[in-house]
Amino acid sequence: MMPLLLQQIANGLVIGSTYAVVALGFSLAFTVLRVINFAHPDIFMVGMFAGLVLAVPGPWGFVVALGAGALGAAAVGYALERTVISPLRGRDVLMTLIGTLGVAIMLENGMALIAGPDPVSYPNLLPREFVDIGPVTLTLRQVVNFAICLALLVLVSLYVRATKFGRATRAIAERPDVAAAFGVDVGRVCQATILIASAMAGVAAVSVGAMYGSAHAFVGLLYGLKAFTCMLVAGNRYFEGVMVVALGLGIIEALVTGYLSSSLRDAVAFFVLIGVLLFRPNGLFGSYAT
Amino acid sequence: MPSFAYFEPILIFTLLNVTMAMGLYITALSGQLSMATAAIAGVGAYLSAILTAKWGWPFLPAIVCAAAIGAVVGTLLALVTLRMRDFILKLTTLAFGEALSVLAFNWEYIGGANSFTGITLYTTLPQCVLAALLALYVAWRFDGSRLGFAARAVRDDPLAAGAMGVPLMRVRVITFALGSALVGIGGALQAHYLLVISPNELGFFVSLNFVIFLLFGGLQTLWGPVLGAALLTALPELLRFTSQYRLILYGLIIVLVVLVRPEGVLTRKPTGQARRLFGRILVPERPVGALAERPTDRPLPLGLVQRSAER
Repeated sequence: MMPLLLQQIANGLVIGSTYAVVALGFSLAFTVLRVINFAHPDIFMVGMFAGLVLAVPGPWGFVVALGAGALGAAAVGYALERTVISPLRGRDVLMTLIGTLGVAIMLENGMALIAGPDPVSYPNLLPREFVDIGPVTLTLRQVVNFAICLALLVLVSLYVRATKFGRATRAIAERPDVAAAFGVDVGRVCQATILIASAMAGVAAVSVGAMYGSAHAFVGLLYGLKAFTCMLVAGNRYFEGVMVVALGLGIIEALVTGYLSSSLRDAVAFFVLIGVLLFRPNGLFGSYAT
Repeated sequence: MPSFAYFEPILIFTLLNVTMAMGLYITALSGQLSMATAAIAGVGAYLSAILTAKWGWPFLPAIVCAAAIGAVVGTLLALVTLRMRDFILKLTTLAFGEALSVLAFNWEYIGGANSFTGITLYTTLPQCVLAALLALYVAWRFDGSRLGFAARAVRDDPLAAGAMGVPLMRVRVITFALGSALVGIGGALQAHYLLVISPNELGFFVSLNFVIFLLFGGLQTLWGPVLGAALLTALPELLRFTSQYRLILYGLIIVLVVLVRPEGVLTRKPTGQARRLFGRILVPERPVGALAERPTDRPLPLGLVQRSAER
């Protein structure tokens, strides 16, 4: 009884940490730029493939792949920011959603054209080993994935809280007009935000690809809606709130899979969303006015 | 040249999407851009399919019931989202659609994950033409009615509209119910043509298609959504000669429209280059202000020659 519970919680934390990275990227874009970036999950996907292409054998292979994932995703993120997001800033949120969704369709089907519509096997970047942590057994890949995602979350948290650019980011999130009046270069900070969110997604994508051993042109769909839900449930006042909700969602999903049925797993996110929207329409941790 | 049999399905889907886009247009006119269109269509589809396939009802009453249940679901959604801000409303409808999709997924009586099968083919092209014409007529009459103007007032400024005596709740409920009834009809007809309903078709991404139809065509006139639904349904088929690239092109077209014509393809007044070149011809001098917006001033075909002043 207890071991299964702990095991499912551990599995949930691993998957939840990935949700958290993608959700944080969503949340950064939405909070700072007022843009729902539906291409974000597909930037994640591009990062995954960039890591796959540039993976080299050897002990440094994984690190090189992580770097490649970050660069690939950041490059796409930059192009997206220049061509679509920047012109759409300040428009209705829905227009940005539709515009970035168009980009998402292009990215997905473009990648399906290059890599084929079926899952592609990922190079063996990490050894297949099991790690026992107390009563819980995880694969080494799961542990590495969790560690990487957690590190990314901590880094972004530090960036937002402790750097000058990060403070500017929060200022824009709260009042863009006032921030601009106080000399914050809104355009530059917005670019930096998209770049950071993309690079972060790229790194996480490579580690997820290595964890599951496969990459898929349509992998973004799975993470996109979940991450989007996490962002809404948490509200956008605290970036850390998104992380907490994403980890929580991962755990709940793992528990539902373990104790109820796996077909109900994907439903959980939406029932949570409806419940939260009904009683706390601004999210669990509150939101800035939009 | 492909035969008519090749074009018939495309034509039917186009007409059905126009029908449902009209439903969403009516709903959206009072500011409730629902993200649950596919879910409402799915409810209509499932109900009508149960009635015809499991209970042996004839087709027409099943369609009427689909419209009725659409209206009921629309009313419920309107009441739930009545006090919500714009963005939260969209999200609530989104979550509603996803929840219904999951419900259908786990309900064995209606096929569950294996989809609802065993539906008899009833839908024919003339019926779809009829449905689309009905939807167009309803939307056209609605557009120019007092209710239509009340709906626009509620959309533009609920507070001011309420202060001027527009019954906010009634307007929102009626628009949502009326629009959803049309969507329900479209869903039922579609179910009896596809002969299978899968729970996935109730989800967010299918609903989003309808929102894209509206925003692509433009929400200012009735003809925008018609154009959006017709063009974007037929487009992937028309682009078939480009085979693999067609979805990429589809995405590109959506991005370009959002960037270049943020108000949608069809707007009341010509903008940009078109305005500079043809503005004087297309926008004749007309009374400005409240008189120009009176209910008898109905939109003209194609939405090119319209009111001279929007506000």
